[in-house]
Amino acid sequence: MKALEVIIAIGVILGAIFGLSALAYALGGWIEAGFPFFGHRLVESGLPGWAWVSNMLILVLGFVMLIATFLTLAERKWSAMIQDRIGPNRATIDLPGLRGRPLGGVFHVATDALKMLTKEDFRPKVADALLFNLGPILAFAPVLALFAVVPVGPQVTVFGQRVGLQVANPDFGMLWVFAIASLAVYGTSLAGWASNNKFALLGGVRASSQMISYEVALGLGLVGVMMAFSSVRLPELIQGQTTHLWGGTVELPRLGAVNLGIPAWGLFLQPVGFIVFFAAAFAETKRAPFDVPEGESEIIGYFVEYSGMKFGLFMISEFAEVVILAAITTAIFLGGWNIGFGFDSTLTRALTQANLGWLLGAIYATVFWIKALLLCYLQLAIRWTFPRFRYDQIQSLGWKILLPIALANIFITGALILVDPSLRSLAVLGFVEIGFVLALTLRRPEPAGHEADDAHLPADAHGHAPPPLPGAAAASHH
Amino acid sequence: MAYKATKNPTTDLRERLFLPELLRGLAITTRHFLRNLFNPRDTNVHVVDRKGPNLVSTVSYPEEKTPYPPGYRGLHRLVPRDDGKPRCVACYMCATICPAQCIYIEAGEYETTDPSSESRVIEKYPTQFVIDELRCIVCGLCVDACPKDAIRMDTGLHTPSEYNRSGFVWDIPKLLQGPAVSHASDPWNKRASSATPPHQHHEPHTRIGEGLVPLKLPTGEQQKRTEVTDQAIPVTRFLKD
Amino acid sequence: MSESDRKKPSGDAQPSPPGAPTVHPAAGTGPTPTNPPPSPTASGPRAGIEHQPPAAKPPIPPPTPGGKPTPKHPGFVTVTVDGKELVAKPGENMIDAVKKVGSDIPYYCYHHRLSIAANCRMCLVEVSNSPKLVPACQTPMAEGMVIHTNSPRVQEMQRAVMEFLLLNHPVDCAICDQAGECKLEDYYQRHDYRSSRLEGEKLMRAKRKVLGPTVVLDQERCVQCTRCVRFMAEVAREPQLGMFGRGSAEYIDTFPGKQLDSNYSGNTVDICPVGALLNRDFRFRARSWFLSAAPSVCTGCSRGCSTFVDFMGQDMYRYRPRENEQINKSWMCDQGRLSYKYVNQHRVAAVMLGRGEDRREATVPEALRSVAEQFKALAGTEGLAVLASPVASNEDLLATLSFARDALGVRSVFVSGRPGGAGDHYLMTPDKNPNRRGLEWIARGLDLALKPFSELAQAINSGKVKALYAIGGEVPVDPSLVAQGFARLEYLVLQASNESAITAQAQVLLPAAVHVEDEGTFTNLDGITQRFRRAYPPRADVKPHWAWAVALAREFGFPWAHASARDVFREWGPRVAELASFDWDGAAPPVKIARGLNPLPTAADGRPPGYREFGPPRDRGI
Ligand code: SF4
Ligand code: SF4
Ligand code: SF4
Ligand code: SF4
Ligand code: FES
Repeated sequence: MKALEVIIAIGVILGAIFGLSALAYALGGWIEAGFPFFGHRLVESGLPGWAWVSNMLILVLGFVMLIATFLTLAERKWSAMIQDRIGPNRATIDLPGLRGRPLGGVFHVATDALKMLTKEDFRPKVADALLFNLGPILAFAPVLALFAVVPVGPQVTVFGQRVGLQVANPDFGMLWVFAIASLAVYGTSLAGWASNNKFALLGGVRASSQMISYEVALGLGLVGVMMAFSSVRLPELIQGQTTHLWGGTVELPRLGAVNLGIPAWGLFLQPVGFIVFFAAAFAETKRAPFDVPEGESEIIGYFVEYSGMKFGLFMISEFAEVVILAAITTAIFLGGWNIGFGFDSTLTRALTQANLGWLLGAIYATVFWIKALLLCYLQLAIRWTFPRFRYDQIQSLGWKILLPIALANIFITGALILVDPSLRSLAVLGFVEIGFVLALTLRRPEPAGHEADDAHLPADAHGHAPPPLPGAAAASHH
Repeated sequence: MAYKATKNPTTDLRERLFLPELLRGLAITTRHFLRNLFNPRDTNVHVVDRKGPNLVSTVSYPEEKTPYPPGYRGLHRLVPRDDGKPRCVACYMCATICPAQCIYIEAGEYETTDPSSESRVIEKYPTQFVIDELRCIVCGLCVDACPKDAIRMDTGLHTPSEYNRSGFVWDIPKLLQGPAVSHASDPWNKRASSATPPHQHHEPHTRIGEGLVPLKLPTGEQQKRTEVTDQAIPVTRFLKD
Repeated sequence: MSESDRKKPSGDAQPSPPGAPTVHPAAGTGPTPTNPPPSPTASGPRAGIEHQPPAAKPPIPPPTPGGKPTPKHPGFVTVTVDGKELVAKPGENMIDAVKKVGSDIPYYCYHHRLSIAANCRMCLVEVSNSPKLVPACQTPMAEGMVIHTNSPRVQEMQRAVMEFLLLNHPVDCAICDQAGECKLEDYYQRHDYRSSRLEGEKLMRAKRKVLGPTVVLDQERCVQCTRCVRFMAEVAREPQLGMFGRGSAEYIDTFPGKQLDSNYSGNTVDICPVGALLNRDFRFRARSWFLSAAPSVCTGCSRGCSTFVDFMGQDMYRYRPRENEQINKSWMCDQGRLSYKYVNQHRVAAVMLGRGEDRREATVPEALRSVAEQFKALAGTEGLAVLASPVASNEDLLATLSFARDALGVRSVFVSGRPGGAGDHYLMTPDKNPNRRGLEWIARGLDLALKPFSELAQAINSGKVKALYAIGGEVPVDPSLVAQGFARLEYLVLQASNESAITAQAQVLLPAAVHVEDEGTFTNLDGITQRFRRAYPPRADVKPHWAWAVALAREFGFPWAHASARDVFREWGPRVAELASFDWDGAAPPVKIARGLNPLPTAADGRPPGYREFGPPRDRGI
């Protein structure tokens, strides 16, 4: 019963994503085709290239903000399930059919929003008014701007126009991500400084030093992928990942030729780059285990003086960062909307023939978001799995571990690409690395030496073995 | 349970690499997540450590309630005598010991002509006995201090919610409830009035809790009795549910 | 000393007389008594009936050549108590004397103002000149005697005595008002502390037998010490109590057909070491350990017995007599004991303006302005008179009468005060005003003539006096009659502590504090001036008379800034010849306040839980 409910809920979510994607394609095609409903004149003029407006609205305001909003709930609900709790389930709506049904706590999203919006917006008298107000804006705006270069769906033909789900596709692509991502630090450090509160200042200083440190690893982690596909533009990176490393074309009855090869996903080519990039980007989001700028138990964080919707902006920008990190990682390392294993060619062929470009695009966008959501789950699960790093550990992880690894990775990758431009040797190395880690993970840990010694000592009532007596330990050696 | 800390501080490659351990940790949390996501919650409130498919051990409080254990220190009650008056003699021991200073008592005197024989031999009684349940820290010292077994916390209830503070101030009409109690050492079981008795009584000297005296109740009301035994006072739920 | 403040002040724990020789255990040779104790003064008001305990006068062992030791300190008796040397006055009781070296002999029946009965046997001690244990209360101390108050033999005997006393004791401390100040309880903890070995039944006696208007008896609790019997016979000189029966069936009762209705019966409650005799007024009102005690003076009559005021929060619960060799010894009368009630009941709580329909509550500045306005016009004329009550303290009178003279310009003062009543053969006097002598002195010192109340009545009736400034609301005749007369006044400013028919006639009613709410002095009819201390501060707008006078004077433009009764006394006390040499600070009772074990339970607002719901205790008749 419960499983069915969960499956229905997942279906509803996927349906919503699909619907929204289809809407985005339709709207984009409609705009490009030039407002056919407003009369002939406009049709003729058309607005070539203006689909970015609808894309911006639907991708940024629709997808990113909606997912980020629901992640605030997911954070609590999922952490509850991880920790064997129930999680938020008290908010219900007193309407027939909904009465007494928390529906997994979705109404908490509404109550949270209401609370944020209606709480007193308090500003300390001694705070710098301008900078204090600027803080949340500077923290929030870059995060949304980041999403401009992320392609969510492929270019397909809708209403006779080529439409893609991307706000902008500049030449500098990834560099935009690096540039804008570093801007977010201004928001946090300004907030910390302008609050005129020593704890807020501490949080701001911690945030800026942490973000600056990881900026380097963040960039270096991606260099390998860029080298492999010789581009910094995200659509081209995705396009590159759809190619097959080792082709395996088979003729299937009604479907024609199907390539069952392994796609050249960034993860397979660059597992080390993936880890470095993901860890660095995680540190940029300032979420546990990298949450020293907040450090609830010590300093509360750079936003300690903020309340109401200003605090809400900090919080929602954190979740928006989660979504965007997931989307970028999907695009660069998980093949974007690529399904792989033969589905792509078949699907594309069938739907292009049927002239259902919007359907193809929507399916691909849904696939993209499924991958992104899985990565969102991964980020939330990491937060609820790992303890917080100590501050010096954060710095040494960034400078002493991630940075050298990333550098080494770049050189090895570069050498391998030079040697074998087909990327196969790079992929082989990647599979070896992945296999090594998996093997280590799945290996049963061997009991440590003296634990085996302890095994025959009687355990006390609490299951703890008493410390071995000196004599007994000596005897067991004979 | 799922993760066993090793006593050996030396680490092997797996732990030094960090990544495998991270993945194992993620696997554990994800396993809990999936078990709890896909399986219906076990609502048996008697189980604390769950072993079923769903591991959620939360008790959804107002809808589900865990029964209080025997000996639970619940809401106070003033123990009635057989005639329905409080056993309390307003000795102020509870008010003196109370660390929260939440007991307020005013004493009065029973008339020698009081129609009930119990009251004729007991001089003192509380005209006001007030416990501010909001201030009470539920330490149970008042119960220990009472020399007359007149205040107990055996109701098995906790203080009900109220909409204003004065609702938490419990006075005699609210506190005086539950089964009556009588001890062999109670004065009304030893003498008939305050005057010098015409002959000495011949039962042995007893203390609180020694021996049980049948209540002088009309037939049919016997079940209201609390048995006075050496065992823990049984949890009685007698207030209106 | 502190014990005597917490416990009943029956003199059970006597302070050592000032100047008594003390012991320096470190000095091998012992002390030389440099200042011999003063001879006992017998200058009480009624020295004729004062009783001297006859049995406690053992002759000083004369230094005979035949083996009797010569005194180490001539004129004193030198003994060794628990290894320490003690130099005692000849004839001093052993129980009192050993306290000076820190030994403590338990006792029930001994009382330093009663004859020695030696029937409780609690005070048995081991002495060098007797093979058996001897009662300390009855044994004269001999030169060179070695006394052990704590040897194993003594301890075993004390335990045995306690066991016997508790054999038939009901131990109903839960309902016994003595609990907390009961010797049986204290000594049980100290000398017995084990459960009863009694297997059979206890003897039962009458409980709550009402002996008279003041006292109720529980015969079961009595330890047959006969203190009460001796007190009635020797001090009150009204033998109403007797010991009846014999053996374990002995009991205390009134003589057949008699009631315990003496005016001194309340003292039997004080001296009863257990809860057998209890005061009907105080009974069940409060547990003794909640009460705080402040040294004060009884205002019931002009004798001015020294007392303790027992209070809790801002409510007074009882008077207890306080040791005062000059005035009341260890006793006080029942009328005085009950006179505390006015402190709690029918108090004027707020400043009132207007008469009849127009009466309303007012703020202090408003009232002061109104008084100044009216009185400034009349000051110095015949139409303005001043009425002073001899219930007010010296400091009150000093300030108010100075105000009357300097600001109001009066040359004479009318005297009000409580009506006279009956006196009796011991302490109680017919004049029920505690400070008449003080009023006379102060009026003389300030050059004011005193006129009787009847002249004021005439002056008002004839219309000569139009405005009146009255200090104190007590009047010597029926208040309703006085109120009719006062209704004719155009302007009446009344500083009163209690509501009466007269307070209704005041245009300006200023709430006055009573003596327990302030410190000060009273001068009794014998001219003895006594300091009393403050028990608790007055409520809200209530102020002492002197404070009202100072506030009024400031309104008149005088630069008075007296902040306490002490300031007032230091300013005007020296102008009164009789008070000039009075050492105000030095005469203060040494104890300030002995706090109760546990203050009254309080809620968040500082008041007991249930207080708001059921009203303050005073509204419920306490
Ligand atoms: S349980 Fe403790 S705090 Fe509560 S009334 Fe009793 S003594 Fe006071
Ligand atoms: S201790 Fe018991 S008998 Fe005494 S006042 Fe409290 S409830 Fe009453
Ligand atoms: S007289 Fe003392 S021991 Fe006896 S019942 Fe009273 S308080 Fe308790
Ligand atoms: S009633 Fe009190 S004072 Fe009198 S004999 Fe008994 S114990 Fe002593
Ligand atoms: S005090 Fe000495 S016998 Fe009682």
